[in-house]
This record gives sequence, C-alpha cells and structure tokens, in this order.
Amino acid sequence: MAGKYFGQPILRNEDAQLLSGKARFIDDIDLPGMLHAAFLRSDFAHARIKKIDYSAALKRSGVVAVYTAEDFGDFWRPGPLQVPPPTAIKGSVFNARTLVPIAKDKVRFSGEPLAVIIAESRYIAEDAFDDIIVEIEPLDAVNDLEKALEPGAPLVHEDLDSNLAADVVQERGNYEEARAKADVVISRKILVNRNAGAALENRGFVVEWEERSRQMTVWATTQAPIPLRNTIAARMGLFENQVRVITPFIGGGFGPKIMTSQADDVLLPWIAMKLKRPIKWIEDRRENFLATTSERDQVHYAEIALTKEGTILGVKDVFYHNTGAYDPYGMTVPLNTQTHTVSNYRVPNFYTQIKMVFTNQMVVTPVRGAGRPQGVFVMERLMDAAARELNMDPAEIRMKNLLIPDEFPLRTGIIGQDFVEGVLDSGNYKKNLEKTMEIVGYEKFRKEIQPKLRAEGKHVGIGIVTFTEGTAVGPYEGARVTIGANGKVNVATGISTQGQGHFTSFAQIVAEQVGIDVKDINVVTGDTAHFHWGAGTFASRGAAVAGSAIHNAAVKVREKIFSLASKIFEEPEENLEVGDGKVWVKSNPSQSMLLGDLALRANPTRGTIEPGVEPGLEATAYYGPPYGATGAGAVAMIVNLDPETMQVKVEHFVIVHDCGTAINPMILEGQVYGGISMGIGNAFYEKMVYDDNGQLLSASFMDYLMPQATDMPAKMELGHLVTTTPLNTLGIKGVGEAGAIPTPAAFVQAVEDALHGQVEIMESNLNPSRIFEYLQKKQ
Amino acid sequence: MKIEGEHVFKGPRQAVWEMFRDPEVLASAMPGTQSLKKIDDQHYEGMMNVRIGPVSGSFAGQLTVSNENLPESCTLTVDGRGAAGFAKGVGNVHFFENGESTTLMKYDGEVTIGGTLASVGQRMIDSVSKSMIKSAFETLDKALEARLAAKSGNTPIEFKPPTEAEFAKNVAKDMAGGLTNVAEVRMLLYIVPVALLFLIVALIARGCGG
Repeated sequence: MAGKYFGQPILRNEDAQLLSGKARFIDDIDLPGMLHAAFLRSDFAHARIKKIDYSAALKRSGVVAVYTAEDFGDFWRPGPLQVPPPTAIKGSVFNARTLVPIAKDKVRFSGEPLAVIIAESRYIAEDAFDDIIVEIEPLDAVNDLEKALEPGAPLVHEDLDSNLAADVVQERGNYEEARAKADVVISRKILVNRNAGAALENRGFVVEWEERSRQMTVWATTQAPIPLRNTIAARMGLFENQVRVITPFIGGGFGPKIMTSQADDVLLPWIAMKLKRPIKWIEDRRENFLATTSERDQVHYAEIALTKEGTILGVKDVFYHNTGAYDPYGMTVPLNTQTHTVSNYRVPNFYTQIKMVFTNQMVVTPVRGAGRPQGVFVMERLMDAAARELNMDPAEIRMKNLLIPDEFPLRTGIIGQDFVEGVLDSGNYKKNLEKTMEIVGYEKFRKEIQPKLRAEGKHVGIGIVTFTEGTAVGPYEGARVTIGANGKVNVATGISTQGQGHFTSFAQIVAEQVGIDVKDINVVTGDTAHFHWGAGTFASRGAAVAGSAIHNAAVKVREKIFSLASKIFEEPEENLEVGDGKVWVKSNPSQSMLLGDLALRANPTRGTIEPGVEPGLEATAYYGPPYGATGAGAVAMIVNLDPETMQVKVEHFVIVHDCGTAINPMILEGQVYGGISMGIGNAFYEKMVYDDNGQLLSASFMDYLMPQATDMPAKMELGHLVTTTPLNTLGIKGVGEAGAIPTPAAFVQAVEDALHGQVEIMESNLNPSRIFEYLQKKQ
Repeated sequence: MKIEGEHVFKGPRQAVWEMFRDPEVLASAMPGTQSLKKIDDQHYEGMMNVRIGPVSGSFAGQLTVSNENLPESCTLTVDGRGAAGFAKGVGNVHFFENGESTTLMKYDGEVTIGGTLASVGQRMIDSVSKSMIKSAFETLDKALEARLAAKSGNTPIEFKPPTEAEFAKNVAKDMAGGLTNVAEVRMLLYIVPVALLFLIVALIARGCGG
C-alpha cells in the first residue's frame, strides 16, 4: 500500500538536528538556581539499616539538604503496581511487593538508595557521600532462583512465607495424555542469562516547581510520559494539568525507561516543592547498571513430546523467573515467555508454569524482547534436541510443525501480557523459513560448502530458527493532527521517542492523507502539554498503535479539507483533489486554495458556523486493538569458530521478517539491524553477573561487553514478507524487538554445529571461555 | 575471592615477629595508612586514606585475631568499609622456622567484597592484589634488613618507605607495563583499596605468627 510518502524510504526529519549536535538531551537542560541530586546507594545487597547519620554532610559547603526515608514522613510509601496482576488467569498466585522509592529499615538490593543529597553541584553532592555514616547489619543474600524457594532461605520480604512472588499455571489440551502417546520425550534444563538495556544515554530527571503559577515541569528520559505525569500529580495532590512532563531527545530506551515510581521521579518533585528550586539528576553508568531495571534471568525445566516422524504432540515448561527485589511490573515478562514458547509451531498440548522469585537483585522489567527471547530460546533448543534424537535436519523438523495461514486467526488458549487470550492474527511462517533458507543457501551450505570447509579444518556451523513477536498491544493511543495557517502540519501523540524515527514515520502517515510534504510535518511526542492521553512506548506498539491513531486523525482532517473546500468551491467532494499543500478542483486546477489559507477559513472569528462543525483543520482520534498483532520471522546464521581462541565470528546473517505493512523500509531495516546487534550481544558478549552475595560484578563497560561494529556479521541480509494484520487499517505489526528475539537461539545452534555436534549447549549466553569449558567437560 | 601465598624473610622468626609488632613498620608497607592501632592483643583498628587514581576517600578497618596457636598459626578476620565499598576477609596464617635464619610465612584466605570494588574492579582484583602484596613484601624485606643491621651494631642501613604515589605507580607498572597515563589503566587503581585490605590480613598475620 505504498503511496507517495507512506511506505517510502524517506530520510529522517530528525537527523539534521541530531547529527549536527543541535538536539537537546536532558543533560543540556540548565535552569536558573538549579540544584543537583545524588543518591547514596547501598553497597550491601541485603541488610538491615540501623542508623544513617548525615549531620556531617549538612555541614559541607554547598550541600543544601539531605534526606533519608524517615525524612519523607507519610510521603514515603511503596510505589504503585505499574502493571496489574494476571487475575484473568484462574488459580494464579501473585504477591505484590512494589518498589520503595528509598530504602527504609531494610536494603533489598545492592544499589538501592539510602539517602538523597541535594547540593549546588553534583560534584559536591557526591563528595558528601563520604560524610554520611551508615550503620548497617548485613544479611545473607538470596540469588539462586531455585535455592531461593527452599525452606530456610533468607527472605527478601519477611512478611511473606517464602520468596515466591508468583505462581501461574496455564494449560491448553492435556500434556500428560499427549506425553503418554508420544514416541519420544525429551527433557532439558535450559538457562537464560541476565542482560541490561544499556542505552547509550542513561536515565535523567529534571523538575521545576513554579510557586506562583503552581505549575510543575518535569523533563525525563521516560518511555511513558503520561503515566509518569499521572503518578506524579496523584502523589503531589495536583491536577494532571498542573504537571507537564516533557521528554527531550532520548538516547535509546530498550525497555528499562518504561519503569516509573523510582527514587528520582518520586522524591525529587517533593524536594523541589519543599526547596522551591529546580533539581537535576543525571544517572551515571554505574548507577544504571546497579539500579536501573534489567531482564532475562530464567531457569527452565522443559519437555517436548513427539511422534517418531517428528510431529509435536505437546510441550511442558516449568520455569523460575527472577523478578529481583520487588515486582512492580507485574508479570509482563514471564507471561510473554509463556505466550512465545509455542506460538509459531502447532503444539496441541501445552503446560506452562511460572514460578516467579524474589531475589536480592535489581528489579526485573522488560528489556527489548521482554520474555519473548526466553520462550523462543527454550522452544528452539527443544526442537534442536528433538531433531538430533530423531536424526532429522533442524530446518525439516521446523517446517513440519510450523503453523500455516489457514489456521489463522488462531486462539492460543494462553493469556498474555495484555490479560487477554492470545490470538495469532495472520502470517506465513513457512514462507519466512523457506525464504531464509533460500537467501542463506541452506541446502548448498549443508551439502557442499560446510563439508568442504570442514575438510580444510575450519569449524563452521549454521543455525536456523523461527520466531514470533507479539506486538502492538493495547490499551490504546491517541493523536491530534492540525494544519496550521502556515500550511504545515502539527502532529501530537502521547507516546515518547527514544530514537525510533517517529518524527519521520508518523509524518509519512499524515503526509499521505493531507498531501503536505513530510518535511513540513512537525511531530511532537512525549510532551503532556501537547497530548495528554496514552500509555507509552513499549511492546513494539508505537508504529502500530500510535501510528494507527495518527492515521485515523489524519483521515478525519482529510475529510474536513474536502468538506470545507467543497463548500468554498461549490463543487462536490469527489471532484476535489488534495496534494502539494493545496486543494483544487480536478477539472479546473486553477481553482485551488493553499491548505494554510483553508485552515484560516476553518477557524472563523466573526459570523456564524453551521451546527456540528468543529473549528480548524484539526482532528483528534484514538485507536485500541482488541489484542496484539503478531509479527514473525526466521533467522539463519553461519558462524566460524576459531578452535584456538574459541572466538566466534558471524560470517553470514539472514533474517526474513514479516511485520505487515512497512511505513518506512529504511527505518525498519535500522530497527531490525539494531535488534540483531542486541541479540548477538546477548548471545556472546553482554552478561550481567551477580555473585553469591548479590554484588553485581559487571557494572561497567569494561566487564559488561557491548558488541561493537566489528562484532556484527560480515554479511547481513534482510528479507521482507508482508502479511498485513486485519487489526488496524494500515495493516501494521510491530518490529522493534524482532532482531533481538531469535538471535541467541540461532547463535547457540550454529556454535553447536560448528563443533560438529560434540556438545549440547542449553544456555543463552556464551563466551570463548564458556565454549572452552564445554569442550573440556566433554573430553 | 581466595588469596594465598608465601614469602621467605631473611631473618630469624623472632626478628620478623618483632617487626610486625611495630605498627609503624606495617603502616609504612601500606602507604596511605593514617593509623594502625592495636586495641588489645586480639583487636586492631586502622584508618587508611586512599587517594590513588580516581579513588579518593577514607577506608576504616577492624581486624580480629583468633585461634591463636603461637608461634605457629592464627586466624584473622578483617572487616573494612569506605566510600569505595566494603571488604570482609577471613584468613589463616602459618609461620615456620625455615633454617639458615630465615622465616617462611604461608597464608590463605577468602575475601568478600562489595560496592564499587566489586562492581567495577572485580575482574582485576586478583592480579592487582598479588602485585601489591609483592610490592609490600619488598618494602618489608628492606625494613627487616635495616632492623637487623641496627641490632647487630653494623653500619646502619637507611630505610625509606615508598611514598603513596611511588607505591601506586609500582603497582600500576606491574599491571600494565608503565602505561599509567592511559585512562583504562588508571581504572585498575579502583581496586587498590581492597588490595590494601588484603595486605592488612597478610601483614598483621605475620605479626601474630611470631
């Protein structure tokens, strides 16, 4: 459905500003009289606080105030449950223990704030750390997910009987019956490691309380400006319109920036109101690793039952999910794991159980992929183990079990993160795999290239996997589209932008309807003064959900253009055409009017208007899907493993994905490549490591390795398939997490293949030492 | 992490023991030490100012000596906290007559660390602490030589402990071949304070061994 603007690889509107250093980021904000905040954080992961003495800090020149939990009085309270519990799932247990803004009586993770220092500069505030005497009694920490549930384990929350945060069972069909009929049953323990969001820009928060106008302005790096505005207003006893949240340009989100009700956004507005001075806090990298949320840590006990021909009869998966010290984000991540474990294959019987566990680690909330990579990793590993057992080719066993288009829409029987039963709306999963095999040259590699390279002593392997990506969940987003008297368009929506190219892709959606060039369309995201309804940027929903709302508003504006012009020109609407910033009569193009002039006419200042007519070339619209749209794809990668160093080089990476209609294929490619980079990082470089005492051992980029340009595949190919979703007019599915989801599963399979199948690897994060250990264990 | 090692001192056990009963000598082996006080035979308290590379701040430590089996062995527990984090260590020390007027000291222990020390420095602590212990032993060897010379009435040998800066430089050199001006190398020094704590364990250990 590509048009003049929509569907075209148009260069990004925002790039001139970003690339020439003219974009404003949060640390660029400098207000008169601004103070700076620093958080003193606990070195201990689990401890009882005896006493915090900050009297010496107050004497330090430049320190304005110091607060501990006690100083906030009644204002201190555990934060809201940001995502509600899965009450839709019968029999589920969920123990809500939401994040506290600052530790009181007890510390539950290393990095939890103990005191906040407000000073004339950040430098002084951090120097004052040395003046604060914290008397603390260390407690044994809980880190191992399985040991955490054993009787006698130290309790993260002592008012609970155990460290169990949630227990959720979902089943479709009857797994035990299926198992009894199976020819082959394969059981494995599968580990998925913990990764950070690791955005280029850390978090930040600036707040100004203007006493005379009683207005609070907040600049934040949040993915959820409207929920943030709502919670701040509620806590401070203000109306929503007394709090304006603005997100400036943001250097990457990747999930953790969706989290609100943390120390900064809870405490700093209160302090700013008390001190009547603006306050700024910019997170440093170590704080980001320690105290910004991260994800992935799961232990699965998974089982697959098949016929001897390789047809899946059932899957059972009981898994432990680490939620960290608190569970403010409900069960989004493990529910995504449940829905994605079996979503691309025909699995008639499926039993899945979540045991969510409290540990003395940072809170877990979604990171790009958000539970999906775990589900896909588990299923793809089971498929590989089954292929080996049945002596089948990995591609063959997958092809045999993939769902086909005739089966859609398919009700999955499994309730997901949006609390409704999952429905696979559309897709062509086999074609994704076929096309991937074709682009990578699968048969030729297996039959000719690999044997030849192996004969030369090379350790080359191929991995091939499939995946789905549940995207574009509700509840809703909205947008307002306005044509100005200058003939340009303003588009405002409630979500925020962290680099996804919204300023261009949203403009393309509008341009197609109103016939005004993309360059003349100004998109405003993440400013509650411009649009104040919505949920935020998460779950790959920006383009599909906010994009659909924008489309709906643009269609209404288009209708207004035709309706008004029809009256002015005294011509029926069907005789009119819009484009190049004007509207004209088809049969007589000289009879035309600039849209800016029409906008003025749409807003009369004298005279009368017809009943029911709304002023301006402006419209507001909303869109909310009944359930999310599911994208899908397949990945193949060829790796070359150096037997001396165990370094793995990705030689060739192919991804075929189907996200429905593409708004801007260039931006889409960038999204997918970025996701692949994250997937490769998750598979071979990035790993958050906590020791037995809950100390994070990888809190800098020296130890937490990010994949670099040189670690990216030597050859990368992208194949697009378009199966539009019936869920929205534009047929768009999300794609923001596509690259990250399947990559670890494909990587591990390729490494096994490179090692001639000598070892079986059931964990998602490898590195040269780990591969060496596997080989040593084998010998 | 585990630490273990041994060192041969060129002096009789009695002389080595006396050296370790002298807090000033111990402090000289750990530049930056503000105080090292003996509270009683079982308890010591120390304050150390750490100003090396990007790390600055004070570090307070308590040391407890237990399971004393003089002059052969003892157990040491050290608990130190400061701006850069905390360290807790338990170590066992053995002290042997080694013939020809030399003394063999063996130590092994387990140290737990937290805070910046763990989150930023974990990876390098092992090698840096080894290097620092080596550097401290060199200082103590010289101190012992000077003490023995003074005792025997021979020409006194001048003993000048290294300054904080010299000490830090030696460790950095050991770690990175003298590239002290490279930012990444300076990062190594983050873990210096914990290595200093290991030193307290190792050195005081020999004190009780006498």
